[in-house]
Amino acid sequence: MSLEIQNLHVRIGEREILRGVDLKVERGQTHALMGPNGSGKSTLANTLMGNPNYEVTEGKILLDGEDLTEAAPDERARAGLFLAFQYPATIPGVSVANFLRMAVNARREENIKVKEFGQILGKHMELLKIERAFTSRYLNEGFSGGEKKRAEILQLAMLAPDFAVLDETDSGLDIDALRIVSDGVNAMRGDERGFLIITHYTRILSYVKPEFVHIMLDGRIVRQGGSELADELEEKGYEFVREEVAARA
Amino acid sequence: MPEPAFLEERRARALEAYEAEPVPTWRRSGFWTTSLRRLELDALEPRRYDAVDQLPQIVREHLGDEEHSGLIVQRGASIIYAHCDDPSVTVTPLEQAVEEHPELVEPWLGKRLPVDEGKFAAANAAFWTGGAFINVPKETRLEKPIQVVYLIDEPGTAQYAHTLAVIGEHAECRIREYCLAPPIDGQALHAGAFELYAAAGAQVQLAHYQDWGPGEVHDVSVKRVEVARDARVKWVPVHLGGHLTKQTLDIVTAEPGSDMRHSGLYFTERDEHLDLFTTDKHEAGHTTGDTVWKGALTGESRASYEGLIHIVPHAQETHTYLQTHQMLLSQKAKGDAIPSLIVEVDNVSASHGGTVGELDEEQIFYMQTRGIPRAEAVRVLVEGYFEEVVQRLDDPGLEALVRRRIAEKLAAAEEQVREFIGERA
Repeated sequence: MSLEIQNLHVRIGEREILRGVDLKVERGQTHALMGPNGSGKSTLANTLMGNPNYEVTEGKILLDGEDLTEAAPDERARAGLFLAFQYPATIPGVSVANFLRMAVNARREENIKVKEFGQILGKHMELLKIERAFTSRYLNEGFSGGEKKRAEILQLAMLAPDFAVLDETDSGLDIDALRIVSDGVNAMRGDERGFLIITHYTRILSYVKPEFVHIMLDGRIVRQGGSELADELEEKGYEFVREEVAARA
Repeated sequence: MPEPAFLEERRARALEAYEAEPVPTWRRSGFWTTSLRRLELDALEPRRYDAVDQLPQIVREHLGDEEHSGLIVQRGASIIYAHCDDPSVTVTPLEQAVEEHPELVEPWLGKRLPVDEGKFAAANAAFWTGGAFINVPKETRLEKPIQVVYLIDEPGTAQYAHTLAVIGEHAECRIREYCLAPPIDGQALHAGAFELYAAAGAQVQLAHYQDWGPGEVHDVSVKRVEVARDARVKWVPVHLGGHLTKQTLDIVTAEPGSDMRHSGLYFTERDEHLDLFTTDKHEAGHTTGDTVWKGALTGESRASYEGLIHIVPHAQETHTYLQTHQMLLSQKAKGDAIPSLIVEVDNVSASHGGTVGELDEEQIFYMQTRGIPRAEAVRVLVEGYFEEVVQRLDDPGLEALVRRRIAEKLAAAEEQVREFIGERA
C-alpha cells in the first residue's frame, strides 16, 4: 500500500522541470523531500495532484497500484491523495466551515450529519488552536500566512487522506505556529497514512521526524537516506550536495 | 377629480418633452449600443385591472409570508392591492397621495427627476398612473419592511411606474421594490421612475429586485436617491432578468456627513441586454461612498455596467471607492464594466477598480484537490463571487431568494458553462 512515483518527467510549456523522479512512500511512513528553490519540489507536488499547468511527458503516479497519472484532481483527492498548498487559493464568499463540509461530503455517499461534522470540526480546531470565529470567515480571504497554513492542516485533519503531501508548510511560520502545525501533523501520523513533507529548511523536521530524506536537485532526486541526511544538510548546505553530484558526474 | 395644478403643469411639460424627443439609441465608444428600435411602442397601452383581495401567485412567491409595514402592488397601469396598517407611516398609491396629501407630495415629486431627461423619462412623467408614495415621518423607526411591486403579466402592456419615498429626519426603515413578470409572449414596456429622499440622520436600507422573466419586457428606468446631512442609505439593486434593460441609478450625497453604500448585482442569460449607468454624486464635502457591483453573463447576453464617481467643486474631504466586477461564463456573452471618475476638487480620496474576466483556474484546481468535482467547484465559485453583494442586502428572506435565483440560473446554464470552462482545462 503506497504512493509510488515512477520515472516522472514533467514540463511547463517548453521547460522540462522534472527529469525522471522515482519515489515510493508506504503507508505509515513519513518522507521528507528537500531541495533548494527551483529544484522541482513544488512541481512534483502540483503534478501529484494533477495541476493542469504541468504536463507529464513520461512516467507514472500510482496510488495503491492504481494509475492516477491521467486522473482529474478531484478523482485523485477522492482516491485518497491530499496536498497542503504552499500558496493556497482564496475562495471568496465560501466560509471555512462550508468549504470543509463540501470537501468532506465529496468523498462520502451520504452527506455528513450536521452534529457529527460539528463534533469532528470542534475536536480538530481545538488541537490546532483555532478560534471558533475562524470557521465563518471566507476561506483564505485576508488570512495571515500562519492562518492559511493552519487552514490547510485543518483540511488535512478533516479529510483524513491516505497520503498527504505538505508543500513548504513550514515557510513563513513563526516558531509557535510551526509547533502547532507540527503537532497537528504528528497527530495525523499512523500506520494507515503516509506523508511526504516538502521543505527547503530542516526546521520542521525537528518537530515532524521523517524516516526517510530525499534531496532533489535540478529535477532529480540525487541523494537519499535516513533522518541523519537532514542533519548533514543543515550543517553543510545545498552547495555541498551540488558539488558532490558534480564530482560524481 | 382633476389633479392638483402642480401635477397638471408637470405632466404638460413632460408631454411636450416627450413629443419633441426621438426614441433614443444609446451609444458608447467601442461596440456598445442600446437600441429600442425593435420596440413597437405604438402597439403598447396602459392596461387597467380591478383591485384584488388575493395577490397574484408570482407576487406571493416573491414576497413570501413575511409581515410588512406597507405594501403596494401595481399591475399594468392599476394599483390592484394597497395595504398599510401601520398608523405611523403613509404607504399609499401615489395617485391617491396626490389627492389626499398634495402638500406632502408637491415639495418632493420630481425634485431630482427633471421631465426633460429623454423620451422615456418624459413619458413616465407625462403618463404615470398608480405609483407608490412612501412617507416615513421623522424619528419613526420601522421594524417591518415597506414593499412596492410592479407587475407586468400581459404582452402589449405599457407600464409607467413612479415611486416617491420621503424619509424624515432620523427615521429608520427598509424599502424593497420588486419588478416582476411571469413568462409572457410578446412585448411590454416598463418605464419607471424611483426617487427617494433621506432627510438628515435617516437610515435607509433599500433594495430593488428586478426579474422580468424570459418575455420581451423592455425596462427603461431612472432611479435616484438623495442622502441629506448625516443620513445613511444602503442601496442594493439586483437585476435577475429582463429582455432589454436600460437603467440610470444615481445616488447623491447632498450634505456633509451623508454616507452611501451602493452595491448591485446582475446575472444575464439567453439574449438579454442590460445597460446600467450608475453615478455616485458627491455634492457636499465630508461625505463617504462605497460602491461594489458584480455581474455574471451566460448565453449570448450583453451586459454593460458603467459606474461614475462625480465629486463636484467644494466637496472637500470626500472619501469614496467604486469597484466593479464582471464574470463571463459563456463564449458568446459580451460585456464591459467601466469605472470612471470626475473629480473637480483636490482634497478628497476617490478610487476605483474594475475587472472583466473569467473564473480563476487556480481556484478551481484548489477546490478539485479537495475532492470537489469541477462543475460543482464552478458553481460554488460563482455563488461565492456574488456573496459579498448578496450579504449587503442585509435581509435574510431576500438574500435567500437571490441566492436561489442565482443557483437556478447557473443550473440552467450548466452545460454551456462546462463547455466554456472545459475548453480551457
